[in-house]
Amino acid sequence: MTKTVKSGPKKIDITINGKAATVTEDTYLLKAILSAGFSVPTLCNHKDLAPEGACRLCLTEIEVNGKRKLVTACNYPVREEIEVFTNTDRIKKHRKTLAEMFLGRFPNVEVIQNIAKICGASDTERFKSELTDENPKACVLCGHCVRACNSFVVQNILGFAGRGITRHMTMPFNETDPHCIGCTSCAYVCPTGAIQIADEMNNPADPELIRYHGMRINAMMSVYDKAQNRMREVGTANLVEVMDNYDILPVHNYKYGKHPDTRNIESGVMKRKYFTQDIADGCWMGCSISCAKAVDGFEIKTGPYKGQKVVVDGPEYETAAGGSNMGCFDLDFIVEFNFYCDTYGIDTISFATTMAFVMEAYEAGIITRENTGGKELNFGATDEVLECLHELARGEGFGVDVGQGIRRLKEKWSKELGADAKFLQDIGMEVKGLEFSEYVSKESPLQQAGYAMAIKGPQHDEALLVAFDAINNQAPTIEDKAEMLYYFPLFRTWFSLLGQCKLIWNDIVPPDNSKYPPDEAAKIPERVEDFQKFYEGMTGEALDEEKMLKQSERAFNLQRVMNYYLGYGTREDDMPPLRAVGPATEEEYTSREERYDKQLKEEIGIDPEGKSTREKMDILREYRYKRYNALVDAVYKIRGWDENGVPTPERLHELGIDVPEVLDMLKEPEK
Amino acid sequence: MITVNKKENLEWREGMTVQDVLDEMGYDYPLITVTVNNQLVQQEDYATYEVPDNADVNVFHLVHGG
Repeated sequence: MTKTVKSGPKKIDITINGKAATVTEDTYLLKAILSAGFSVPTLCNHKDLAPEGACRLCLTEIEVNGKRKLVTACNYPVREEIEVFTNTDRIKKHRKTLAEMFLGRFPNVEVIQNIAKICGASDTERFKSELTDENPKACVLCGHCVRACNSFVVQNILGFAGRGITRHMTMPFNETDPHCIGCTSCAYVCPTGAIQIADEMNNPADPELIRYHGMRINAMMSVYDKAQNRMREVGTANLVEVMDNYDILPVHNYKYGKHPDTRNIESGVMKRKYFTQDIADGCWMGCSISCAKAVDGFEIKTGPYKGQKVVVDGPEYETAAGGSNMGCFDLDFIVEFNFYCDTYGIDTISFATTMAFVMEAYEAGIITRENTGGKELNFGATDEVLECLHELARGEGFGVDVGQGIRRLKEKWSKELGADAKFLQDIGMEVKGLEFSEYVSKESPLQQAGYAMAIKGPQHDEALLVAFDAINNQAPTIEDKAEMLYYFPLFRTWFSLLGQCKLIWNDIVPPDNSKYPPDEAAKIPERVEDFQKFYEGMTGEALDEEKMLKQSERAFNLQRVMNYYLGYGTREDDMPPLRAVGPATEEEYTSREERYDKQLKEEIGIDPEGKSTREKMDILREYRYKRYNALVDAVYKIRGWDENGVPTPERLHELGIDVPEVLDMLKEPEK
Repeated sequence: MITVNKKENLEWREGMTVQDVLDEMGYDYPLITVTVNNQLVQQEDYATYEVPDNADVNVFHLVHGG
């Protein structure tokens, strides 16, 4: 682990109307005033939007080093000891005048009337003019809608035009902007009702319910993302440096979990040198998370597009981590590799993981230049990887072999080259014929099972649980782990059933999420509630956790039955290669010797002293597979499957999917 | 001596704060929850909250990602 030195946020003592208070540096003064139990009138302030200081109603008097001045409390960050006065005669007079101006212009708007009352203003005549708008739902130019359009959904459809008395809210050129997707963020934050929703698409049962929960997510994203995962800034690439720091970033075909050269491919470098669009790439216009990134004007160095400047969509975490897995810590390469995989229609994960396997086989001498068409495929061979990719696309040379994927390469090399089948099995990172995605699961039994037991093969979409046990030491017993492997795959399957993006579920976490005990906190209860309410708002049917899991369980079990029928659904199909459960080579063991020796001593009760690395590896292998199998037993049990991992007819009956066609699939697998 | 996540031991020293523990463990992930002897510690207090000797510190990481 690298050590970082941080100085935490500074605390500052202030007084507010004579009352002492301590605030964290950079807290906005308005927040401090409200926390201390005082109130200040506001119009342009909104709890979910960045402050603007536009309406001037929150003006507050502060004293710094004996000097008094007026500041707008909403956007004044506290950085030194100050005395604050919220209700002096000077302020009261100022507020009253302001409120009268608002009242003169918008006499019938309720929110203005309330502010006027607080400020002691009642004269509607003083500022009456040709601008006076009698409409009770008049636009009061607070700017909530303009800011929500930008900060909730990263769009700029609404804006102000004109100056002084002609200032008004509008869309570009005073026309209806076709880019507006009708997200209704503007209507949600409008305090007067000036923006109304004209129609409801898709006839939801309760549009207000959907809107409330959707806006809760939008607001959370706009306020907290910059301090949490920076999805808007760098997308999922933020994980590159995190995974490296926690020894989970795959390096050299998952041998290791970190590398000093990771600094060359981390998200900061992508942001500084590559990402050119700070907005969504069009993945889903109006999406509040906007995690998709793009690289414009990237000059291609190889293949059919050589010399051309192109736009590349990405790279995301998995693509960059595919780079580290191949030992290619070079973003020029990663972006080009990303471009060609997209252009050829090839999955970056499967290709990178297959190449990492090929490279290890090459370095181990299993294949040579004779087999690769003369290419030297050591880890880090960026040009050669791209050559393989082009060959694959053209259906030529060694690229054709690579395109077969790891499972077939293992068979081919052991049959045709007499390679050690067991070693290939140990290092070939595939299960059910699909290549692993880019997380090192060695220290996480939860992730090992999350990967290898996943219905469609070892991808993280079903169960990304690596930190729970490897770092948090959560779910210490087999039963605890089995419980998580019951809940999370079902929960995540539910997103797929409903066609929902799951990134907004746990990429943005409410600040008070920690009030739940860890097991509950991991589910992000507030977000789960949002999704349940989306369902209820659309269908009119209330949904709780039990019903939610039941919906998934029916699909999940049907998928498993189909897996079985197609020859991919028994215990042997849920077995991970050794590389996924522990060290498969001596250099791997040696690189983390202290960790593994400690485990031998403390968990297995064997003194590593005097034992060879090979002997220690064998003991560890036996222990870890035994532990894995015990976990599989527990998971099968909790899922209601037999000991070979096949859903029982009784289970299918309970789920109401025991129709003849499904039961027939359980008779004889096709394999 | 203090225990972190019920498996790692760290040498305790006078005035050690939650931030010191996070630094020593290399925990820099933004989505974490910290408890010291079952007491929840707010993020803004990491730099000032002192960890007593023999404390049971838990740093719970909320995994995110696709």
